[in-house]
Amino acid sequence: METSGGLGISLEVCGLSRVFGARRALDGVSFTLPEGAFLSIFGPNGAGKTTLLRVLSTLAPPSSGTATVLGKDVLEDASKLREHIGLISHNPLLYPDLSAEENLQFFADIYCLDCPQERIRELLSAVELDHRCLDIVRTFSRGMLQRLSIARALLHSPEMLFLDEPYSGLDPHAVDILDALLARIRKRHTFVMVSHDLEKGLELCSHALILAKGKVVLFEERNRIDVGEFKGLYRQTVGMGVS
Amino acid sequence: MELRTKEMLTSMGLYALLVLLVYHLAFSQVDSYDVTPIGAGLLWLAIVFTSLLGLNRSLVHEKDQGCLEALLLSPIDRPVIFFGKAAGNLLFLLIVEVIIVPLFHFLFLQNIEMSGAVWMLALALFVGSLGIAGVGTLLATMSVNTKGKDFILAVLFVPVMFPLLYAMVAALSAVITGEVLFPGEWVGEYWRALGLGAGYDAIMLLIAFGLYEFIIGA
Repeated sequence: METSGGLGISLEVCGLSRVFGARRALDGVSFTLPEGAFLSIFGPNGAGKTTLLRVLSTLAPPSSGTATVLGKDVLEDASKLREHIGLISHNPLLYPDLSAEENLQFFADIYCLDCPQERIRELLSAVELDHRCLDIVRTFSRGMLQRLSIARALLHSPEMLFLDEPYSGLDPHAVDILDALLARIRKRHTFVMVSHDLEKGLELCSHALILAKGKVVLFEERNRIDVGEFKGLYRQTVGMGVS
Repeated sequence: MELRTKEMLTSMGLYALLVLLVYHLAFSQVDSYDVTPIGAGLLWLAIVFTSLLGLNRSLVHEKDQGCLEALLLSPIDRPVIFFGKAAGNLLFLLIVEVIIVPLFHFLFLQNIEMSGAVWMLALALFVGSLGIAGVGTLLATMSVNTKGKDFILAVLFVPVMFPLLYAMVAALSAVITGEVLFPGEWVGEYWRALGLGAGYDAIMLLIAFGLYEFIIGA
């Protein structure tokens, strides 16, 4: 399958809904994303952004509709799909009583990596934590935790990376490291990022999506977006409230 | 992780010792006492209390820092996570039993001669512990996202485990006092109770295997 630009499709969402009791967190979400794209998802609190990310990353099943990530259905091919995706969340998803190296070793074992020690050293160096590799994660600052979390997510070289507010709580140095890492791996990956930071989200993205009350308000390529109009529309959707 | 913190083993071991101490204090209030007829029940009671403590903590490390999500994102099948957790819980429970069972014997049963061999006692403890670890892991996963998870686990655990506990108390009673309670028939009684317990384990582990994908993803 190819997009109009000739690129393959990495993400295809069609009529996706997720219902919690009487509340529709996602309501008929549809969009298509080409390979190598960087999608920034914006929206007010409770708009359904994190729910969308959880469904796409196979952590939650959709109530109706379909989502195909890297050609694999999130429901039917979930196990195979998980080999190719990574998630960086505002939660570090690390064991606090293990060292940085032990955490990465644990997840390397789960992903059955070849030469895990080499990969672990490479990633710890990339996130500038090689000097703290033997320290217990519980002693790490928020920024260091997030950097280690990035290393964990990249351990198995995923083709698609989901980022849930990855810049939240980071100091400027950690922001620089994350920016440099994302720039380094940008060409080889497709990204889906949830963010409240309009400036950062628009700076990074190739596509932008605004979600409100579980519905897509706007999905557009970055180069077709007028930043002023986009910000106006975003402010309007924040006033729409939650789903 | 447990090798680093020894959190579960320490808390479970200490709690089991405290339960035995309370038993001892309670029975020492009377001049002469014989706990032999209720020995099996008392021992299982201590094991159930101790296992509840461990089961409540079995998913805490994963839940606290979102590690459960990291596990769920990995390409391993959900039932593998269940068997891993259940095997860990079983191992911790067996380690605690290795400490408390000889101590229980020393405190309460040293003056009696057991009807069955030690391996029969060990087999009954293993079958009971297997069910406790398997069903307990499933229930702990169900309750980990609830508000009063400690309370909910305890409330669900005992009724669900009742058939197994009933069978295992009977099996252990047969081993300890079989010759007195069921003269000439205690071996048959032991195997009947053990068979019931093993059947319960097999059914419940199959159910847990089938349901874990839905429960952990909920």
